Amino acid sequence: MKDWAFGLTMTLAGMGVTLITLYILTLVIRLMDRLFPYKEEKKKEGN
Amino acid sequence: MSWSDIFSALVSGFSHLTWQSGFLILLGCVLLYLAIAKGMEPLLLIPIGFGVILGNLPLAGLAASDEGGVLNIIYKAGILTEIFPCLIFVGLGAMIDFGPMLANPSVLIFGAAGQFGIFLTLLLALSLGFARQEAVSIAVIGACDGPTAIYVTSKYAPALLPAVSIAAYSYMSLVPIIQPPIMRALTTKAERQVVMATGEKKISKRVKVLFPVVAGLITMLIAPMGAPLMGMLMLGNLLKESGVVGRLADVSSGALVNIVTLLLGICIGSAMLAGNFLQWQTILVFILGLVAISLDTVAGVLLGKLMRVITKGKVNPLIGAAGTSAFPMSARVVQKEGQKANPRSFLLWHAIGANTGGQIGSVMAASVMLAILAGMGIPPLS
Repeated sequence: MKDWAFGLTMTLAGMGVTLITLYILTLVIRLMDRLFPYKEEKKKEGN
Repeated sequence: MSWSDIFSALVSGFSHLTWQSGFLILLGCVLLYLAIAKGMEPLLLIPIGFGVILGNLPLAGLAASDEGGVLNIIYKAGILTEIFPCLIFVGLGAMIDFGPMLANPSVLIFGAAGQFGIFLTLLLALSLGFARQEAVSIAVIGACDGPTAIYVTSKYAPALLPAVSIAAYSYMSLVPIIQPPIMRALTTKAERQVVMATGEKKISKRVKVLFPVVAGLITMLIAPMGAPLMGMLMLGNLLKESGVVGRLADVSSGALVNIVTLLLGICIGSAMLAGNFLQWQTILVFILGLVAISLDTVAGVLLGKLMRVITKGKVNPLIGAAGTSAFPMSARVVQKEGQKANPRSFLLWHAIGANTGGQIGSVMAASVMLAILAGMGIPPLS
């Protein structure tokens, strides 16, 4: 019984934290992309 | 000293050979055959296979457990201290391109689904009577991530290290065989034929450089127990993306990772001894590892189906299978299966994104497990 409680705690916390962390990362990536959007690099003259 | 003493000294290797060690030497030869003739993960299976042979030679003193032996010293210094998995992660970080994931961050969510099998396998292992520390170590095979499995197992259940590491690396190489039948069984042909937009959105250099720093900080603050792995992964990626330390990036993704892989493989092989490997427990570890990876694939594909419904048909559910961290094998499998169903479908870009998400997800899942074990005050097994 104790092992099942341990297993379920691990499953809920593990999946929950992994899911939330990855979701936070998606938000952070979107934010960074807005702050620093891709711009075509200008070719340096003389190259 | 008589001639008979000299003779018995010369054949002592043969006279001390047991059928069990002979069987494992044969197994080592099979691993070498698979690596050389069949091309299965040769970088790993050659050192592991040869390590098995060396470790099981009688009187040679080359088993990882032979106190004072050369491989024992490397085993203790590199594996029991968890240095090798961390160094491999530096190399892995320097090899990974997070670009596809940064271009389409919603695929990160597949990296979470790809870890579901870990936790279901944990419950299964507990119900089969494994100790908690052992159950966690076995479950992490489902991460499809050799270094993470070794890191967790060497910390909490070192006796299972040979079985867990061999299972983890074997299944990583068997991903092209394990995943396709599950993917086909869970999807209809119409679902597999979905063509996803191939915009290949470009990402600024600043975002690519900032990502390993910011993501590293966030994940390590949430789960500090996994910081040695996550920190090294992100360091390796920063070396690559910064563009100012090409030599360090090259060394990390080349010489460093090659040397560590060689030493890690030979040490793991030499730890596979007849006494601790030819047991029912080892067979169970292999079966549970297979269950874990299969369940990861099931969860990923099912999430893919859900995403297809939510996005009104824009997502091909196959990319869910790439949420494991078997990088880049899973992504290649997804691309191949997608092309089989529809030659106009190019899923590789999206699948690589999900695959890198799986890499981060597996370290996160392992970190959370380690944090809970530590939080509950569960001590490592000796």
